[in-house]
Amino acid sequence: MIEKTDISKEDLLNAYRNIVMERFLDKKMLNASKQGFLPFYIPLMGHEAIHIGIGLAIRNTDFFYPYYRDFGAIIERGIPLDMALSQVFATEDDNALGRSMPNHFSFKKYNIGAVITTVAGHLTAATGIAYAYKYRKKEGSIITTFGDGATSTPDFHVAMNFAGVYNLPMVFFCENNQFAISVPTYPAENGAFDQTYMETRGDIYKKAEAYGFKGIRIDGTDFVEVYRQTRKALENAKNGPILIEAMSYRMGPHSTADDPNKYRTNTVPEGSAKDPLIASQKALKDMDILDDSMIKSINDEMDRKTTELVNKYEREPKPDKHTMLDNLYEEEPWYISEERGDVQ
Amino acid sequence: MTMVKALNSALDNAMERDDSVILLGEDVGTDGGVFRVTDGLLNKYGKERVIDTPLAELGIMGFGIGMAMEGLKAIPEIQFQDFLYTGMDQIINQMAKLRYRTNGDYTVPMVLRTPYAGGVHGGPYHSQSGEVYFTHTQGLTVVTPSTPYDAKGLLLSSIELNDPVIFLEPKRSYFIKGEVPEDYYKIDLRKANVLKEGDDLTVITYGPSVPLVQNTVKKNNVNAEIIDLRTLNPFDINTILTSVKKTGRVLIVHEAPKMFGVGAELAATIAEKAIDYLSAPILRVTGLDIPVPFALEDYYVPNERRIMEAVNKLLNYQ
Repeated sequence: MIEKTDISKEDLLNAYRNIVMERFLDKKMLNASKQGFLPFYIPLMGHEAIHIGIGLAIRNTDFFYPYYRDFGAIIERGIPLDMALSQVFATEDDNALGRSMPNHFSFKKYNIGAVITTVAGHLTAATGIAYAYKYRKKEGSIITTFGDGATSTPDFHVAMNFAGVYNLPMVFFCENNQFAISVPTYPAENGAFDQTYMETRGDIYKKAEAYGFKGIRIDGTDFVEVYRQTRKALENAKNGPILIEAMSYRMGPHSTADDPNKYRTNTVPEGSAKDPLIASQKALKDMDILDDSMIKSINDEMDRKTTELVNKYEREPKPDKHTMLDNLYEEEPWYISEERGDVQ
Repeated sequence: MTMVKALNSALDNAMERDDSVILLGEDVGTDGGVFRVTDGLLNKYGKERVIDTPLAELGIMGFGIGMAMEGLKAIPEIQFQDFLYTGMDQIINQMAKLRYRTNGDYTVPMVLRTPYAGGVHGGPYHSQSGEVYFTHTQGLTVVTPSTPYDAKGLLLSSIELNDPVIFLEPKRSYFIKGEVPEDYYKIDLRKANVLKEGDDLTVITYGPSVPLVQNTVKKNNVNAEIIDLRTLNPFDINTILTSVKKTGRVLIVHEAPKMFGVGAELAATIAEKAIDYLSAPILRVTGLDIPVPFALEDYYVPNERRIMEAVNKLLNYQ
């Protein structure tokens, strides 16, 4: 893994390449889902700048507890693609033997917590991990991500309160894509969607103040800004927690089981200025790191590469069925041994 | 010493040996816990290791789980088992499943201690016997002691386990006394305890009902074999079957309600594996299938009369 001490032009370009890769992979994984290779999938489109910015900011000593829509952050953090894709496609090489839905990573040796499906179910555990870091005087801080809907849960408020009470070295990072499935986060602007109710009337980033620490709102379509703010937050977290609310837009459905046309008009179509891919291109062009011919060649390369990857992983064998009963307890109970006879 | 002192002694021994052992919960620090199980430990080990928490069971559970994921041995106390339901999501969805769903990438070696069942006239919210919520959650080890000696040994074994334990302390037995060594010792978590050998019937019980069963059997001169399960899941099938095959008659006694309870699982398993050895139906004497009533708790819990009725029915069954 590359230890990123500062953001070089090379890092920025690599980050852009990962944004493009995430966009292509996302489309192809969604397609794989429609073709039946993935029973379920959680699209990423609209989150790429956040993912890559966070991944770029996290050091090897930091602990990252992600949620289920953080694929690009895992890759940018330095997790090998084959480990991540084995998980997504639940192959026999998945370190968790295909036991969880796609994007539910668990990589302890990379200081990445086990993604849980229940919304915000990991936030209180993240506080415990932060406490252990503090108790053991370990280098690094804890960053945990979650969607805007998560801020309505008791877990969010309890975790924020604990982080404040024990002054934990934590960054709470809200990826605000403006929708908890169909319910908007905030009241509708300009009739952009037809919904009576919303997740909250109060600004999410301001909720930190009630728990005794600072909250900020940032542009989640600008990966350089996400990187800078996240890096700064991780460094300052030694002095106490912070909440970051990064504004983005969920450009696709919540999951493959969702049809957003039923409840909203897409106000950030692909290719528009607020599309994080387009925003990233513009930012790097302004810095003279990227030009049109590079954009095209990176596109072609990632298109080809991701096609090959998805073709490979969707055909990889699934875990052996006899592994299914392994590792419930350290010492297998008698009834699990008996149930082995039921798996033929 | 009392069961409370025995538990305190176990925590003291464990904390002395290993600085990764951390206690947390409401009022466990300065106050020493509402039942005084953690009394004196704050002064001895400091506020980094004996942590008073905000009043949020959900937070206590998640806080402990995260510590365990990062190599600490968290021992949260939930003040009353009745109160832990806001932390239930963490118990069922995170604590119990982490080892399985990550195939061992993460484990949760922590011990949740909590007083349960009746005995203090606490009404519906200080008296619950909720053991089946945990025994029916795959991945949890559910332990419940019946004596001061067992309380210490089982707690120390639970602390050494690399998996999550729900440690249910029968509050009605908190102040019963017994011989307890000051030193560190363990008791096998996967082994039931045959408290008394006998030939005419097998009485299977655990936790808060054990003293009642012992006294009833003794007072009425019943030639019964008494088994204290100690661990409810995974329970010790071999000890049970050995006894059942000897006596052919089975009574199960627990304070939790009957319907869908621990007794149901025991009875079904015995029937599946040893019905040819049975000379009578398996009977249960349990708490009634209602919430625990404040004024009439004594009529809710099993008692000598109900146990002897069942014993006589079993012994007279042709």
